[in-house]
Amino acid sequence: MNKAFNPFSLEEKNILVTGAASGIGRVTSIILSKLGANLILLDINHDELVQTHSQCNPTDKLLTLDLTKTDLIKDEILRIIPESGKLNGFVHLAGKPYISPLKSINGQKCAEIYSLNTYSALELAKVFINKNVYAGEKGSIVLVSSVYGLVGSAANVGYAMSKSALHGITKSLSIELAGKGIRVNCIAPGFVKTNMMNTIDGSFADDHTNLLNKMHPLGLGDPEDVAFAVAYLLSDAAKWVTGSILNVDGGFTAQ
Amino acid sequence: MENFDSSIAEILEVDKVNPEDELVDFECWDSLTLLSIIALTDQQYKVNISANEVLAAKTIGGLKELINSKVK
Repeated sequence: MNKAFNPFSLEEKNILVTGAASGIGRVTSIILSKLGANLILLDINHDELVQTHSQCNPTDKLLTLDLTKTDLIKDEILRIIPESGKLNGFVHLAGKPYISPLKSINGQKCAEIYSLNTYSALELAKVFINKNVYAGEKGSIVLVSSVYGLVGSAANVGYAMSKSALHGITKSLSIELAGKGIRVNCIAPGFVKTNMMNTIDGSFADDHTNLLNKMHPLGLGDPEDVAFAVAYLLSDAAKWVTGSILNVDGGFTAQ
Repeated sequence: MENFDSSIAEILEVDKVNPEDELVDFECWDSLTLLSIIALTDQQYKVNISANEVLAAKTIGGLKELINSKVK
């Protein structure tokens, strides 16, 4: 077997990962690092970001940043690029849940959720195409939405709004950026065993986890299930894939 | 606990609530109403409460006490 043949390799790719301090973001960072990518690990939580970094390549860079402060994103990324090298792609995993029925929906909270989950992805894409940021070829943007961007669920309208908007962004930008050699794709995960899921679980009755488990024919996911899909979309193996919404959900949306 | 009574009354779809009113006795009581109370306390009072804590509080007065005990 030819060892040099590996279209799934991430060697020599510089990738920025948002939401890298916890959950799927942390595991994705570790796996991308193991697959050879050079990373910029971005999150608002510096202490937990350091924990993620301790399991990645020591030369990977840390960027502590609140993505809802969109006017800071460009300057902070431009500041770190001379250290990391120009980027081949980014993964947007930062996000917050918002469990609220319509009765208690709150405009300010919706705006906060939209700002982090959705608009920051657009701002990151805008910065990514800057000539001082983008490496110039084989670009890949991977957004991470949710099954609840695709199918409905009660008490989740604010979150669904923020995640389904990522699908619109994916489709639009895949067309707009194709000429620059940048692919734009989105992963829509089902329920993955993370602290975020535990937090959501507390809002529901005791049998909620069992119910969720039954909704996934392959059971609840592990963070690495999403990370492997991210790795594929970042790699050259996905060079003809753009504008796609990839369901990684244990069969949740197959029913 | 400003506006607590009026906010909770709106969620429970009544004009007025009393401290001794049992949560489960409200006509509109269901899992979504319970989630609305959790969302309201998070947004209005910056307090996280669980579904089990709301159920254990039993009454409007109990719910008020629960939130008060967690307000910093």
